[in-house]
Amino acid sequence: MSKPTDLVQGTLDLLILKMLALEPMNGWAIGQRLKQLSADVLQVSDGSLYPALHKLEQEGWVSAEWRQSENNRRAKFYSLTRAGRKQLQIEASNWDRLARAITTVVRLQEV
Amino acid sequence: MTIERFLRIIPLRLRSVFHRSDVERELDEELEYHIEQQTAQNIRAGMTPQVARTAALRAIGGIEFRKEQVRDTRGTRWLEEAARDLRFAVRSLRHSPAFTAVVVLTLALGIGANTAIFSVVRGVLLKPLPHRDGDRLVYLRHSMDGPGGANLNFSVPEVRDLRDGTTSFAGMAEYSSWGVTLQGSEGAESIAVGLVTGNYFDVMGLAPVLGRVTGPADDGPGVPPVMVLTYDGWITRFGGDPDIVGRQLQVEDASVTVIGVLQPAPFFPTRVDALLNMVISPHHLSASMVEGRTHRMTEVVARLEPDATVEQARGEVVAVAARLRQAYPDAYDAGAHQRMSVIPFKRVMGERAQLTLWLLMSAAAFVLIIAAANVANLTLMRGVRRDQELVVRAALGAGATRLRRLLLAENLVLTLIGAALGAAVAIGGVGLLKSFAERYSTRANEIRLDLPVLGFAVALAVALALVLSFLATLPKEGTYASRIAAGMRRMSGSLRKQRLQRALVVVQIAVSVVLLAGATLLTRTMIQLSQVETGLRTEEILTVEVGIRPTQLLRDPSSDAQTKERYYRMRDAIAALPGVTAVAIGTPGPLRSSTVRFEVKAEAKALAVGEAIPRAEMRLANPEFFRASGIPLVAGREFTSTDQRGSARVVIVNQALADRLFPGTDPIGQRVAWTGDLMRFTPFSTDWRTVVGVVRNTQDGGLDAEPRAAMYMPFAQELTVAGSLVIRADSNVAALIPAVTRIVRRLAPTAPIDEVMTIAQIKDQSVSPRRLNAALVSSFGLLAVIIAAVGIAGVLAFSVSARTNEIGIRMSLGADSSRVQRMILGEGGLLLAVGLVLGVVGAYFGARVIRGLLFGVAPHDPVTLVVVPVMMAVIGVVACWIPALRASRIDPAISMRVT
Repeated sequence: MSKPTDLVQGTLDLLILKMLALEPMNGWAIGQRLKQLSADVLQVSDGSLYPALHKLEQEGWVSAEWRQSENNRRAKFYSLTRAGRKQLQIEASNWDRLARAITTVVRLQEV
Repeated sequence: MTIERFLRIIPLRLRSVFHRSDVERELDEELEYHIEQQTAQNIRAGMTPQVARTAALRAIGGIEFRKEQVRDTRGTRWLEEAARDLRFAVRSLRHSPAFTAVVVLTLALGIGANTAIFSVVRGVLLKPLPHRDGDRLVYLRHSMDGPGGANLNFSVPEVRDLRDGTTSFAGMAEYSSWGVTLQGSEGAESIAVGLVTGNYFDVMGLAPVLGRVTGPADDGPGVPPVMVLTYDGWITRFGGDPDIVGRQLQVEDASVTVIGVLQPAPFFPTRVDALLNMVISPHHLSASMVEGRTHRMTEVVARLEPDATVEQARGEVVAVAARLRQAYPDAYDAGAHQRMSVIPFKRVMGERAQLTLWLLMSAAAFVLIIAAANVANLTLMRGVRRDQELVVRAALGAGATRLRRLLLAENLVLTLIGAALGAAVAIGGVGLLKSFAERYSTRANEIRLDLPVLGFAVALAVALALVLSFLATLPKEGTYASRIAAGMRRMSGSLRKQRLQRALVVVQIAVSVVLLAGATLLTRTMIQLSQVETGLRTEEILTVEVGIRPTQLLRDPSSDAQTKERYYRMRDAIAALPGVTAVAIGTPGPLRSSTVRFEVKAEAKALAVGEAIPRAEMRLANPEFFRASGIPLVAGREFTSTDQRGSARVVIVNQALADRLFPGTDPIGQRVAWTGDLMRFTPFSTDWRTVVGVVRNTQDGGLDAEPRAAMYMPFAQELTVAGSLVIRADSNVAALIPAVTRIVRRLAPTAPIDEVMTIAQIKDQSVSPRRLNAALVSSFGLLAVIIAAVGIAGVLAFSVSARTNEIGIRMSLGADSSRVQRMILGEGGLLLAVGLVLGVVGAYFGARVIRGLLFGVAPHDPVTLVVVPVMMAVIGVVACWIPALRASRIDPAISMRVT
């Protein structure tokens, strides 16, 4: 089984960090919110979310704690750490540069 | 990485390792929550509960796969796998306890021997000196040819010239070995001290742990005498008393203040209890010492300038020495190549130990090589039996790295257990080795099994494990099926493996021969040495050195009569003891070396140009001395009671001096005299003296030393500067020690008693280092032979069991049992023969290296080079015979049915 390649490499991390910058969330909620916000354009596979979240946790960019969810079930909530906030800035600006560059190339007038 | 992030990550990683089940449970729970939520959403979208859950699971994309992905993020996977490999290794080793036990024991002996010897090598030779910038320290050596010429020391004028004539040294300190009498609570004791210049501690880079050390202000006359205790002296003499600083001690006739305790540091050149400033010894400040160019009793230690090299310093010192030889031809014996040099201090400290230690280290390394070869053979054999298992594993998808890692884990378990046991062996042996090393170096007390030494053991273990893991061949991809099909029938393993096994056996035999040859040479050395004639007729002799104070004599020469009287009274009291047959007075005692050596000349002999000036030890003896000591008179007469103060001066020479001065002529009646500049500083006359007797040489410098020239003067005719009592008894002279000590204490309460030893003990002192050498190398040799014998027997036994089928066929076709025996013996014999030849060649060259440790045997001793291979051959043939016998008893019917 190969890894899902539904997103540009590394952008999932950026998306998750951004989601968590808004408020602490559990894995399920992050997935739902991503779909909503991107009007279902960004199809993040449910499965790939968790390895990504755990990786961010192990890197020290997000921290996790067990809390009651809205439907009164225990769920693992992730929130951004200070280091994570910095990382978000870095990755966001990286993304901006990349996006600008790609846009420029794509819009080149063909002769 | 910021510290904050670091602090967050560490507990996470630790938790993944140590609370793995918690972490896993939480992961399950987290994923389960997701699935429940998704299922609920799917139901809301109109699915049936069953379908909804399946869809949710599918959306995750394989729960176990995601879990593995999550686990990968923890970065602790390798650890988990390693743990699993280790657990598996332990389990599979437990299935073959015999194999494990043999391998672990073999390794324990090999690694233990190496660890123990390495601890000594490190402590004595390798460890950095505790001195500040110890690698900048150098020792200046003044030497010449001939016995006793290895270290002449320097005179104060020479040190002055060296200081003025060199620029490479930041400082040059003087050290003089001295003995003083300390009036302690339990009577007078003579203690060894060093007299040092004020800059000594600064040059040496040593600091006090208590109080202060001396400085330039403590130099010269007219300053109060002060004492810095060595750390060892502080502990052993004063029990580590924390209030010692400021204490007044009665030393000689003076009251000396203890000003400090020195940090622990190796002694140089010998063990001392304290270091004092020069003022305590009037002699050291006297004109004779300060102005006498040949009055050499100062060791010189220097510190190099930061940018200077040893070579530069050596060049400067050699240049100064050449200038001095020109300016003062009388003070330097060109015929004996008198010379000065500069040697790194650390090297001087390990000088005497070096050859012996490297010998032992290589002997230990040889043992390890043999042990490793054995273990390699055992694992190779086991590997053949495990081929099956490995092929199956490979067929099931274990990659080459995975298999290699599994083997490595197994070998690591083996070698690390071996190393742990080996360290235990080494800990047991380190005490013995310490007392062994004490004979060679004052750094022996630095020997310990510290972290670097244990690290050495672990490094050995890991290196061995790596080698063993890569010796085993892994099944090649694509051959699995055929190999599984071949199954049990292919037991013999590949040709490559067999060749490797045989090569290892050959190496084992060769190395064993080299070790055995070394052991034999050293053992023969030891035996030769203990059979050396001491020059004495009997060993039932006790010698007791009774110190008197030369300082008193210098001040008041008339006190000499009293001193002599005191010795006579001791002699008479001891002679009255039951069992005593003779008592004599002389100095030094028989078999004791003397440092008092002066130039001598004979009236009838002119010195040839360029010939080394003859020198002789100065010895004193009373009329009974030679009889009591059992030294045979060769010609002339002994001293008599008429050889008195004021009567004609007479001497007795030993054969070595007689041969040197009067070759081919009768020495009796010849006239000889002490000579040389140095005599000015002694109370002894340079008048002509008549030789009245010649006595046999005695082994005063040790049993392995060349006999030294000696000249005896009558005790009664000269001033008494020291004295030994020589006591001879019918039997068991050692039993007299308490009574003799009591008498000396009663008659000379303030005189220290030293060196109470029987001749047998003195002799033993000379032999015992060699005995230990021989014993250590012999036990290594024995170990090697046993391991090698097991090795060759094991390889042949394996070969037999692998060829059971073939042998069965041969026998059913008509080969009888003796033919089968011959076949197996021939197989082993070939290995043995090749190993023996290589071993003899190795021993031939190896013996050259240890020439310096041998005595009385040539390095290429033909007896050794013949006896050892024969011995090894016999052992080897016996080792081959056992499997050969087994092969010949194979029942063809059974062997072919079973396989």
